[in-house]
Amino acid sequence: MSSKDQTTVDASVDAVPRTHLATRSHARDALGQRQLIVVTGKGGVGKSALTGVLARHLAARGRRVLALEVDRRETLQRWFGVPPSGGEILEVSGELTEGLDGSLHLQNLQPSRVVDWVVEKKVKIGPLVRRIQNSPVYQRFVEGAPGLGELAILGHALRVVRGDAAGAPPIDTVILDAPATGHGIFLLTAPALVADTIGQGPFSELAREVADFVADPGRCGMVVVTLAEEMPVQEALELRQNLVRVMDRGPELLVVNGLYPPLPDGVGEAQPADGIAVDDFRDLWFRRRRVNDSELDRLGREWPGPRLDLPLLPIDEGPELLAALEEHFSRLLESAPVEEDRS
Amino acid sequence: MTAPRNHFDPVNPDPPLLVVVGSGGVGKTTLAASLGILSAQAGHDTLVMTFDPSLRLKDALGVGEAAREGVVEVDIDTPGVLHASLLDARATFDRLIEQYAGDEAARRRILDNRYYNHLAGNLGGILEYMAVERLYEVAQEGRYDRVILDTPPTHQAIDFLEAPRRIVDFLDSGALKIALKPWFNEDGRLETSSRLSNFFGRSLEQYLDRLVGMQLLRDMSAFFIAFGPMFDGFRERAEATERLLVDPKTLFLLVTGPGEARIPDTLFFARRLTEAGHRLGPIVVNRVHPELTGSDTPTADDSHTEDPTADDSHTEDAGQQLFHWLGERHRRGLGQLRDLVGPQQPVVPLPLVPDEPTDLESLAAVGERFRAAFG
Repeated sequence: MSSKDQTTVDASVDAVPRTHLATRSHARDALGQRQLIVVTGKGGVGKSALTGVLARHLAARGRRVLALEVDRRETLQRWFGVPPSGGEILEVSGELTEGLDGSLHLQNLQPSRVVDWVVEKKVKIGPLVRRIQNSPVYQRFVEGAPGLGELAILGHALRVVRGDAAGAPPIDTVILDAPATGHGIFLLTAPALVADTIGQGPFSELAREVADFVADPGRCGMVVVTLAEEMPVQEALELRQNLVRVMDRGPELLVVNGLYPPLPDGVGEAQPADGIAVDDFRDLWFRRRRVNDSELDRLGREWPGPRLDLPLLPIDEGPELLAALEEHFSRLLESAPVEEDRS
Repeated sequence: MTAPRNHFDPVNPDPPLLVVVGSGGVGKTTLAASLGILSAQAGHDTLVMTFDPSLRLKDALGVGEAAREGVVEVDIDTPGVLHASLLDARATFDRLIEQYAGDEAARRRILDNRYYNHLAGNLGGILEYMAVERLYEVAQEGRYDRVILDTPPTHQAIDFLEAPRRIVDFLDSGALKIALKPWFNEDGRLETSSRLSNFFGRSLEQYLDRLVGMQLLRDMSAFFIAFGPMFDGFRERAEATERLLVDPKTLFLLVTGPGEARIPDTLFFARRLTEAGHRLGPIVVNRVHPELTGSDTPTADDSHTEDPTADDSHTEDAGQQLFHWLGERHRRGLGQLRDLVGPQQPVVPLPLVPDEPTDLESLAAVGERFRAAFG
């Protein structure tokens, strides 16, 4: 069954299912308390940007934050305007992160390194560690054991917030830019799967520990990112259903990214008929925003939890855009519940 | 004179097999469905296959769960018949096992194996491998004029190409068989004097036991012992599917998004495809915003440039500024991509459609744009 904390959040959400704004303060409080926030959603919706936005937002509010990505190619560092981390935990500093010095970090993680670390810690004898790591059984095990990579990522996050990751600075919150998969839910169910598959030994112990961590709604949360288009919204809704089914709780927050600006008065009335040249930007603007609006309406009906909408801004990807998005994000998250801009 | 290797006819089945690849979120599924309609409209029997846990093509083509079991006919009035199929990694893997397992007992030993049950659903790359496997199956049947394969939503397009080899390597791993088989006998009991133990000494075995536990090793061992007799058939098949991917009748359509941030991934994947001997068609840059020209261009002293985050988005200027910026940015990205791939490699921009293609009619409209883009 669900814990006390989670019951509180869900109950308030259910009490006001149609006014998602009223629950934003719960989302704000929840995000400020979690030790791990998993950012997930369909490919191409802006998960990395949102990971950066959340990291900035929480760092500005006194949390010591690690933005963590798991990818062969480093992406997050571009958003923060810093050099590639090469796998290490890097402190982010610079003009656009003024006042956050010492509290904002990022890391690009290779899961196999974390698995190796478990072996090193448990076996302790150097030559034997290498022999185990070089043995074909071990290598195939690491590659083939289902969920081990996911376990390694979450296990790393747990160690970081606990302060027992070697060489890591003190961190309050890890924000995980989750690997894009059809269903991000596997990341959260993997530890329990590994614990079940392996049954004994250090990997099993780690798996059980991480499974408990992930199952604790007071410690681990999820932010779902989507665009206001049909397919990403469909996936976001399916993800929520799966999370509720498997973990018995919903995500802390839904972020709708990349919205076209609402239309000025009058543009909507002059709605052009089909067939007008699309190089007229007003036609394209009107119709793309109409797509946005119909998906926002759908989310209003079908997404019971807190939601926050971010605009498409004319700024190139990088620290400047991140700062601008975070300003929007924080303003909306902390604003009093008022009716939102809708055309 | 023969057609260049990157020749691609969006309407006629030349070449007959299309593999639509690209990173997640670039519109592969929509394009695959649109191309299917285009082909059926030209009178060709066409199959569109998607391998998608979220069943997006199901929504787009209006086909239900029935398409998961096999191939369904799409309810559309075209001279050629349009078929759709939703692929399921587990079902495909199970079918392969059934096909290659010698007898019922062997089949059950694998299908009931705990390790297989975890492996079949979750091993990285299994979706991708099974997509290629199905393409091979359908190509062998030869029932369709054109087959369009939409690929799984990998974060990076390259994962799709690497996956089949990884699966084959995993199963083919002689190391694994040597390492695991001598440990256990047919009853799943640990052999006391295995070759591995002799080679590494007892300590390694003890430590591996402490690390991963005997149960998993026992399950893995049982899986590979059961899989052993099927192995030759399976590998033959895997190699045939690999050959199909470098056959001239298979063309890769690389789909990407506009904007400079996508360029490194696109270049990397295009290079990998051609270097590995695959036939790469045009690079399709999807959802390109049009460039604003003439009176639509905002003036340089536009005050909104100062603070794009200010909450003034209700003005027409804000919209104009955004669309001007998007058009300019996408034109720049397209130009850079073209410069980098060179004149031999066609790059085809597809304009952003004003409405979301969510039904057959709007998918057909996307197909028309596709055809127009190839002029």
